[in-house]
Amino acid sequence: MKRLLFLPYTFVLMNWAAMKALYCFLGRRSLDSLWSESPAVAHGGRRS
Amino acid sequence: MAKAIFWLSFALVAYVYVGYPALLWAWSRLRPRPVRRAAGVWEPTVSLILAVHNERETLARKIENCLALDYPADKLQVVVSLDGSTDGTAAVAEAGRLQYPGLTVVEGGHRGKAAAINRGVAAATGDVLVFCDARQRVDPDALRALLEDLSDPAVGAVTGELLLLDAADREAADGVGLYWRYEKALRAMESTVHSTLGVTGALYALRRELFVPLPERTILDDMMVPLRAVLAGRRTVFEPRARAYDAVCPPDQEFRRKLRTLVGNFQLLHVMPELLDPKRNPVFLQYVSHKLGRLLVPYALIALFASNLLLRDGFYLAFLGCQSLWYLLAAGGAVLSRRPAAPIEVLQEGECPR
Repeated sequence: MKRLLFLPYTFVLMNWAAMKALYCFLGRRSLDSLWSESPAVAHGGRRS
Repeated sequence: MAKAIFWLSFALVAYVYVGYPALLWAWSRLRPRPVRRAAGVWEPTVSLILAVHNERETLARKIENCLALDYPADKLQVVVSLDGSTDGTAAVAEAGRLQYPGLTVVEGGHRGKAAAINRGVAAATGDVLVFCDARQRVDPDALRALLEDLSDPAVGAVTGELLLLDAADREAADGVGLYWRYEKALRAMESTVHSTLGVTGALYALRRELFVPLPERTILDDMMVPLRAVLAGRRTVFEPRARAYDAVCPPDQEFRRKLRTLVGNFQLLHVMPELLDPKRNPVFLQYVSHKLGRLLVPYALIALFASNLLLRDGFYLAFLGCQSLWYLLAAGGAVLSRRPAAPIEVLQEGECPR
C-alpha cells in the first residue's frame, strides 16, 4: 500500500523538482547567486 | 489539435521512461562493451579524497573506514580536504593525521565542495584519485573492485554502487528507494553500452591525468568529472561490486537533493555546451534521452493531462481516469509522507519560494 502511494508521489515530486529547477535557473539575475548552497547538501548530499 | 498534443506528450513521456530503457536494454545485449580488465593484479598508488564541511560526527568513522580498505598501506594516501568547517571537524582531522601517517589534511576557507576537491587533488600523490563523501560507509573490497575496471586503458573513471538502506538495513524498495534502483539499472545499462552519465559522489575513481580543476561553483562535480573523461575519449563505467551504503531519505528531503541536482544539470549545460554536440559527445543519445528528457517530461505531463481533458470519449476517457487515479495516489503519498514546510536549501531564501 505504501509503495502504491509513494511511487506516484515520488514521480510527481521529481517532475515538480524539474520544473522548479528551470524556474530557479531562469529566474536568477546572475548565475553567481545560483551557486550559493547549503554545505550539508553540497557535501555528501547528492547522488547524481 | 488536442489529439496531436496528447500523442506527442505521451510519446515523450513514454520514450523517456519506457522507450529509452527498452532501447538501452536491447543495445546492451546486442552491442555490449565489456570492460577488459588487466590479467594480473593492478596496484597503482591511490589518493582517496574526502572533501568535508562540518562533518565532526562522521569524519573519524569515515577515516577509519577508508584506512580499513583492502589495499597496501604504502600505496594508499587519504586526503581530507577541509572546507572551512565551523563545528570542530578540523580537530577531528588533525587527530586523525597524528594517529595515521597515511593521512594528509589540507585546509582552506569555505569555498564550496568543488574548491575543496581541487585542493585535495593538488595535495594528492597517487596515480588514481578516488573520491568519497564523508557520510557513506564503503565496503573494504570496494577500492580493489574500482581498480579492476580502471585497469582497462579505455576506462577513465569508475563509479561504485550506492545502496540506500531502510530502517531494517535492507535495500529500500519504497518510493525513493525504488526510484534510485530504477536509476541504477539505467546507469548499469549505459555503462554496458559505453559510459554512465554521472557517478555517485559516495565513491568513484578517476585516472589522475584526466582530472581538470573544477570551476569553484560547480554543483555537479560528480557529473562534470566523468563527462569530461568521456569527452576526452575514455569510458566511465559502473562497478556494482564497489559498494557504499547510505540511509534512504524521506521524499521531501530527496526533493531538495533532486532540485539541486536538476539545477546542476542546467549549470552543466551552461558550462559544457559541447554535450549537445553529437560529434563531440560520444554519449549524446544517452545524455539527451536520460538527462534532457527528464527536464522536459513535466511539461509533457501537463500537456498530456490538459489535452486529455479535451478528449473525453472511449480510450481517452479511460486514460483520463488512469491519469486522475495516478495523481490521486500521488496526493495520498504526499499526505502519508507528511511533508514539512522546510526551506529549499539549494537556493537563497526568498528567491525560489515553494
